Amino acid sequence: MAEEYIVEMKHITKRFPGVVANDDVSVSIKKGEIYALLGENGAGKSTLMSMLFGMYEPDEGEIYVRGERVHMSSSSDAAALNIGMVHQHFKLVSNYTVAENIVLGIEPKKKLAGFLPAVDIKTANKRISELSERYGLKVDPTQKIEDVNVSVQQRVEILKMLYRDAEILIFDEPTAILTPQEIEYLLEIMQELRAGGKTIILITHKLEEIKKIADRCAILCRGKLISVLDVAATTTREMANLMVGRDVLVDIKKSEPHFGDTVLEVRDLSVRNADKFEVVKHVSFGVRAGEVFAIAGVSGNGQVELADAIAGLDRAANGSITLSGVDITHYNIRKRTLEGISYIPEDRHNVGLILDFDLKDNLSLKTYHQEPFSHKGILDGEEIEKYSDSLIDKYDIRSGQRGRTILRSMSGGNQQKVIVAREIELGNPLMIFVQPTRGLDIGAIENIHKHILAQRDAGKAILLISLELDEVMELADTIGVIYNGELLKIADASELTPQEVGKYMMGVKS
Amino acid sequence: MSENKKSAWLRFLEFVDAPKRRNVSIPVLAVLLSLIAMCIFLLLLGKDPLLAMSSFLKGCGFLPKGSYAGGKGMITDLMSFLDVLAPMLLASLGVVVAMKAGLFNIGIAGQMLASGYIATVVIGYSGLGAAAAKPLVILTGIVVGGLMGALVGFLKYRFNIHEVVSTIMINYIVSYVTGFCINTYYADMISRSSKVCSSASRLTITGVPFMGYSLDLPMGIVIALLMVFVVKYMLEKTVLGFEIRCVGANNLCSRYIGINVGRNVVTAMAFSGVLAGLAGVTYYLGYYNTIIPKDLASMGYDSIAVALLGNNSPIGTIFASILITIFQKGNVYMSSQVEVPREIASVITGILLLFSACGAFIWDYVRRRREHLEESYAESLVRTARDPSDSEPPPDVPAEGKGAAK
Repeated sequence: MAEEYIVEMKHITKRFPGVVANDDVSVSIKKGEIYALLGENGAGKSTLMSMLFGMYEPDEGEIYVRGERVHMSSSSDAAALNIGMVHQHFKLVSNYTVAENIVLGIEPKKKLAGFLPAVDIKTANKRISELSERYGLKVDPTQKIEDVNVSVQQRVEILKMLYRDAEILIFDEPTAILTPQEIEYLLEIMQELRAGGKTIILITHKLEEIKKIADRCAILCRGKLISVLDVAATTTREMANLMVGRDVLVDIKKSEPHFGDTVLEVRDLSVRNADKFEVVKHVSFGVRAGEVFAIAGVSGNGQVELADAIAGLDRAANGSITLSGVDITHYNIRKRTLEGISYIPEDRHNVGLILDFDLKDNLSLKTYHQEPFSHKGILDGEEIEKYSDSLIDKYDIRSGQRGRTILRSMSGGNQQKVIVAREIELGNPLMIFVQPTRGLDIGAIENIHKHILAQRDAGKAILLISLELDEVMELADTIGVIYNGELLKIADASELTPQEVGKYMMGVKS
Repeated sequence: MSENKKSAWLRFLEFVDAPKRRNVSIPVLAVLLSLIAMCIFLLLLGKDPLLAMSSFLKGCGFLPKGSYAGGKGMITDLMSFLDVLAPMLLASLGVVVAMKAGLFNIGIAGQMLASGYIATVVIGYSGLGAAAAKPLVILTGIVVGGLMGALVGFLKYRFNIHEVVSTIMINYIVSYVTGFCINTYYADMISRSSKVCSSASRLTITGVPFMGYSLDLPMGIVIALLMVFVVKYMLEKTVLGFEIRCVGANNLCSRYIGINVGRNVVTAMAFSGVLAGLAGVTYYLGYYNTIIPKDLASMGYDSIAVALLGNNSPIGTIFASILITIFQKGNVYMSSQVEVPREIASVITGILLLFSACGAFIWDYVRRRREHLEESYAESLVRTARDPSDSEPPPDVPAEGKGAAK
């Protein structure tokens, strides 16, 4: 048994403050196989592999490599065991050449004029050309990183591992940034690597890829290992069911919806990111008063950019946004807020709040410039304090020194209450919630969910963007599934099962 | 039982690091450390540190000197002290305003020089009467400083040029351009400095007879103290100040709540420049009445240390600038009394500036030592609790959790 498995992780448990990222997970990986780790965001895939790569140490459990118990405290320990990892975000020096990046740290050396030590870049180039030929990884060693596209950069990362004689290669969501053709090519490379005797661990949430190349597949959900499947004997449908099928977290009674007029109308909207890459592609939908329109999708499929574009933080590259009949496509952020958009952003620490300010200032972040909180440019401290006191009571915000409490010292759940209170009290007809319960405990989640439904029943139009399928299924009246920047499916929540939504989330059409 | 007592050192650290006290206690600690360093330094030279300290105070008119020249006394020294305190205070306020917006204005020296130069050339040499000249000098300081600051803000917002880079470069440009103009057109052939500005335009009213003394009355200190409260009010009570603080505290959130971040960067930098401009006119047309070509006032840089020592608060800068100015102004008298070269006096001032700029480091050190000691204290509690021979129950068990969480 010791020789059969190259990597064994036994009863691994890893806790972070407030979360159990891995709960008694055991996986065993055979030499020369492609082993896939499947799971939703936050399921614990990356954490598990980070422990194998020496970035974290497990709180409980043991790791065996080639049959021997190992303790790794840094990635160099992992490198010594011939374990390499291609991260989601590449770690390359952009103004160095491909070859320089690959040999960085273990450069072949030569002596100039017999004594001056220097990097022997010619030898490096030659060795890299040999390596890239052997595994079919096409690169030009003399090109600079800034001149090549992400697909080539990824190949450079792979070559970096191979150059260091890595035997066990971990890929963290390698296809997230690639085009379909590039994905095809990468999958071929992986098969080539397997043929060359390497062991590959593939972290992904894309089912087709697993079906295409993986030998076995472990499914993780909320930190727990659900099942290990033989890919050849399993259908994608079964895998999707296992990945998303589970108990509903909290049970909230939802009243019958009463839809009103369309509040938000998005037509043919496209958004480009900083690299001019189209991340939202010609999306059209409408949200009615009294409706929770939920957008489900795996993270990074354009949902945050979509919300930012509606709120005015990102510019629309194409299309129009209409709010209660007013075209707001070219309005700035403040004008949109005044026109009627409340926005609970995904990143509450860096965007939604100013952590070094106190509670009362944070509660008035969107209204300080208006009557009665300021008169002709002069703040009215008394009004701000009074307002904050009333909100603290109304929303049961727990804080040490009431309005004077510095936000940084408050718990995550209470911080989120601050944002929710502030945005609800704007009284706007449209409320956008992005990941409103991320990282919160069950009590706090329930509280936020109640607020969302209360707002819906009060006739507000709610746009909910969530990565949690539970949350979407529980709250939504209408569900839109976003994949790769496109709305693949819009349907009544009652017409969809979680399994179907999960399927669309993976990009499986029909 | 005795090992369960908190050590005096731990209690001291807890006292210093109490959240309510921290804003004052850390700068005070920084000053005390610098004074200790100064004493050690003087003792090594075989000099009397107490004499040195009293001489600093005597040189600034806080303590009586042994003897005075005719028409001079403690009060003349004090007036002269206030005269140089004014630009220091204004310059530091300039740093504070920029810092509140998350900007580092290193260009105070250049902004001072530019406004001082233009006020000297345009008003100082104009022959206008005092009633017109003095307000015009102040106005020139405000306008020129404000424009210089706004330029830096604009460069940052429009072209993404970091303010540290642009202000350093602009300092040199101002220094060389004004130096060239002074040398070419306005140089006094004897002093090699610029020709003196008219006393009508000068913000220090010289030679006022008062109880047998001849006083130089500084108008600058009135402006400076007024500006302390203007800045405090602006930052704490106005919408503009709130937005500036938002931008400084969290750029992303400021954008999210609809603040025009670029416009606030320009405004904050312009305001900072206005204060630097006022510092410039009170320095070059107040404390001095001439400009040395190609010489940036070191005050422009010292003001950064003052702002840090004053914990970035307008009121704090009053105390910090008084302290730093005592050492800078008093070092002439100190060097003559203690009989050390003036260079040594400069070294001592340097030590003080160095320590005062290190407040953040000192706090970090205090915090880490405190946490470490609290942890071992908690451990000692647990040890005694587990030891059955010691019948004394642990007095404060919850402290264990505090330490273990670290």
